Amino acid sequence: MEEAKSNSGQNLGIAALVTGIITFVMAVIPCVGMIAIIPGIITIVLAAVGLSQAQRSNSPRGVIMAGLIIGIVATLISFSQYFVAGKFAKNFESDKWPERIEDIVNDVQENVVRDLEDANVSIKVEDGDDKVEINVGTNKSDKEKTLEELEGADTTSNVSIIVTK
Amino acid sequence: MQIQPVMSVSLSQNRTTIDLKAGLTEPYLIFNIALAGVIMLIMIYSGIFSPDINNYPVVCIHEKLTGEPCVSCGLSHSFSLILRGRIDEAYQWNQNGMRIFIFFAAQFLMRVVFSGAYLSRPDSRKQLISYDITGSSLLFLTAFMPFLIYIFKFC
Repeated sequence: MEEAKSNSGQNLGIAALVTGIITFVMAVIPCVGMIAIIPGIITIVLAAVGLSQAQRSNSPRGVIMAGLIIGIVATLISFSQYFVAGKFAKNFESDKWPERIEDIVNDVQENVVRDLEDANVSIKVEDGDDKVEINVGTNKSDKEKTLEELEGADTTSNVSIIVTK
Repeated sequence: MQIQPVMSVSLSQNRTTIDLKAGLTEPYLIFNIALAGVIMLIMIYSGIFSPDINNYPVVCIHEKLTGEPCVSCGLSHSFSLILRGRIDEAYQWNQNGMRIFIFFAAQFLMRVVFSGAYLSRPDSRKQLISYDITGSSLLFLTAFMPFLIYIFKFC
C-alpha cells in the first residue's frame, strides 16, 4: 500500500514536471506567454497534490519539488506578460491611437463625401393621384467635364422637379 | 578457478540492471527525459506544419491584443524553415529564430550526454549537475535574452 501511494505521488510529480517545462517554454515566448498561465496553474496544483501524497507516504520529493519550482517561476513570468501587454497597449494608446482614429475618421469622411458627390438623389411624394418627384443629380464627373468646356460657367447642382397628376 | 569468471559476469549483469532501474527513479534523469520529450514535441510541431501552406494553429495573442507584432512573431515559421534547411528565409521571419533553435538542439544533446554521464559516473553526479545547471542557465540567457529584455522592459 505504501509503495502504491509513493508511486502515485511520483506520477503526479512527473506530470507536474512535464507540464512545468512546457509552461516555462511557453512563458518566455511573448506570443503565447499570456496563455501559459493556465498550464502554470495546472502545474502548481499537480505538484501540490503530489507533494501532499509524498509527505503522507514519506516518499522522495525531488521530482515534485522540481515541478513545483518550475511551475511557480513559469507562472510568474507568464503573469508578467499581462503587464507587458497592458503597458504596450497604454503606450500604443497614448502615442498612436488618436492619430489612427483621426486617419480612419478622415478616410470615412472623404469616402462619404465622394459617394454623395456622385450620387443621384430621387424624392417621390404621392398623395392619392397626386405625385411629386424630385431628382437631384450632382454628377460631379460630368460637371467637371462641363466646367472644363464652359470654363466655370455652371457650378450648381442640376435640380429638376417633375409634377404629374 | 572455473566458477569465478561466471560469477563475476552474472554480478556485473545484475549491477547494470539495478543501475538502470535505479536511474529511472532519479529526479535528474526524469527531468532530462521530460525536457528531451518536450524538445522533441517542439521539433515535431515545426516539422509537421509547413511555412508554405501557413497552417500553424498558434496565433500571436500579443498581436491580437495590441495590434503590433511582438519580438517572437514568426518563430514557428523560422523553426520550420530551419528544419527544412532554408536558413535565409528563417532569418527573415524571425531574427532570433536560429539562436532559439540552437538552444533547443543543444539542450536535447545535453540531456542525452548528461544522462549517460550521470549513469556511468555515480561518483561525480553532484559535480555533473552543477555543470549542467551552469551551462544550461548561460545558454538559456544567451538564447532568450531578446525575449527577456522585451518582457521585463515593460514590467
